[in-house]
Amino acid sequence: MNKRLFVARRQADWKAFEALLDRFQKGKRSQWEDDDVGQFSRSLREICQDLSLVQSRGWGRSLTNYLNDLVTRGHNTFYRAPPARLQGLKDFLVSGFPRVFRRNLWYFITACLLFFGPLAVTWALVQHEPDLARRVVPFQQLEQAAKSYESGTNAGGSSWGKTRDDSGERVIMAGFYTQHNISIAFDCFGRGILLGVGTAYTLLYNGIAIGAIAGYLVGTGRHAKFLTFVISHGAFELVAIAIAGGAGLVLGHALLHPGRRSRLEALADRGREAIQLAAGAGGMLLIAALIEAFWSPADIPDLLKVTVGILMWILVAVYLGLSGRWEDRAS
Amino acid sequence: MSPVAPLNSGSQTTLDHVVVTPENVVLTFQLAGPGSRLGAFLIDLVIRMGLFSAAAFISLTAGLFVFSLSMAALLVVYFALDWLYFTLCEGFLRGQTPGKRMFGLRVIHESGYPISGWEAAVRNLVRAMDAAPYLAGGNLGLGVYGVGWLAMLVTGNFRRLGDLAGQTIVVQERRVTVPREPVILSKIEPLPRLDLGRWIPPITTLALIEEFLERRLVLDYGRGHAMCRDLARVLSQRLEYKGSKELVERYPMAFVARVYATFHPVEAGDDWRETEPSATAGKIGSNPSSRGESR
Repeated sequence: MNKRLFVARRQADWKAFEALLDRFQKGKRSQWEDDDVGQFSRSLREICQDLSLVQSRGWGRSLTNYLNDLVTRGHNTFYRAPPARLQGLKDFLVSGFPRVFRRNLWYFITACLLFFGPLAVTWALVQHEPDLARRVVPFQQLEQAAKSYESGTNAGGSSWGKTRDDSGERVIMAGFYTQHNISIAFDCFGRGILLGVGTAYTLLYNGIAIGAIAGYLVGTGRHAKFLTFVISHGAFELVAIAIAGGAGLVLGHALLHPGRRSRLEALADRGREAIQLAAGAGGMLLIAALIEAFWSPADIPDLLKVTVGILMWILVAVYLGLSGRWEDRAS
Repeated sequence: MSPVAPLNSGSQTTLDHVVVTPENVVLTFQLAGPGSRLGAFLIDLVIRMGLFSAAAFISLTAGLFVFSLSMAALLVVYFALDWLYFTLCEGFLRGQTPGKRMFGLRVIHESGYPISGWEAAVRNLVRAMDAAPYLAGGNLGLGVYGVGWLAMLVTGNFRRLGDLAGQTIVVQERRVTVPREPVILSKIEPLPRLDLGRWIPPITTLALIEEFLERRLVLDYGRGHAMCRDLARVLSQRLEYKGSKELVERYPMAFVARVYATFHPVEAGDDWRETEPSATAGKIGSNPSSRGESR
């Protein structure tokens, strides 16, 4: 067949397919008709054949490009990912995230060692010798932290100074914690791509800094105020940072030990799980921010706070350890 | 790879991303270079700064009444613009941020599918790493994308670290609306058969001629002939052309056009070339004084 004849015969179909494509790409799903979908599928396959014909005959680049673009758009429309549903979010929170967490438990444990290890060591050292804290954390920051936990005030942990209007400040802090903590978690994840070194650095750095401040506060006699403040949200906050770190380590490990795949394949494949860990950690930090802003500094008897705090830790452990297990067995 | 490779091998190879579809067809995507991606990023930066300014204005105004709530909202807006803007745009707007749309770019999976929200999230959380090193102010500062730039050069198909982790590529979309019809060659006379030998040029050569003539208007008259001369000489040799030497040497474009017309005859009822104004048809072989006029 002659190229001209070919174009003359097929052109009408191509134009029709273009119109159909525009409808599918712009219009709403509910407006599609059954016939259209069948027609689309048929046309796509026909045009695929046209494209390979043109390619094999060598009928010039402009025609190839045109058909190539038609098939590309058709391909993109036809093989579109299923639309996101609210059900999907619920499934992710109830079972998806804890399952991914358990599948990658060793990364979490490693991240914990990198994070809680230095935290504990620094805490112990600084508590024994509070002056050491100044070598790690700027003095002003220490002073500010110390001021926040003076007995008698309720503005715990805030760097915004003390105001009479407590509730107002808490709202601001909720925003601040959200922005600040989730940024750290996402950063911690993203840096994993540097063979995990970036993640390890972030974990160590934050572990040492947090340990130093905690040790300083406890060592200088502010422990009652401090411990009751952190115990509740700490369950979500600290664990979430370690999870985000674990997600970063997943990326780094995929690059270092790809197994029987190319490094890039391993990275992309493991990245699909890592991002779920990071997203879950982000969600946990959102909860932590709300607790830290509204519950932790509230004027509540210490005993109640400690009880609730312990319950929070148990809740997190149960959620991550057990949620979705029954479905595991069922399937 | 593809049978048309001889026509477009060379400088194009690094810009093409080749995918084989489930229909067993070879699809070619044109990768977007760092330049247009930088442009798209800057547009997005302006949009994000604009949104933040608007949010700041609103929250400062509202702050007169509910100070703390509006401050908290502003912080959350800042976080969203910093970390979620790209993910949400690419996840929900089919792989395009407003900046990318402006430059005709789209993020797709490397196998040609649209990206899912997760893939958009991976490539945009790793973005923080690509953006390093930062100008003053740590992560609050503006990233200069040194790492991303380097990765784009090293990977060869313009992928930054986020693209590698998310298995995505950024493609330049072409919107070719109508097949670009070749030149009007119907008015060109075929070469007399007696002047030619037995050799028949392959279809790829004819396609090359067609494509050259189709794009001849981007060249000026003298340049067009000069570029065509090599082809015309080789063709006349292979065809054992016995006609006028002047045609080959002085008007090579006219010569190759006539070769095309000889071996690619117009058939009856064959008038699909509606896009070309017929006025330019005769210009190929006209005299040199009409230089530039055909544009």
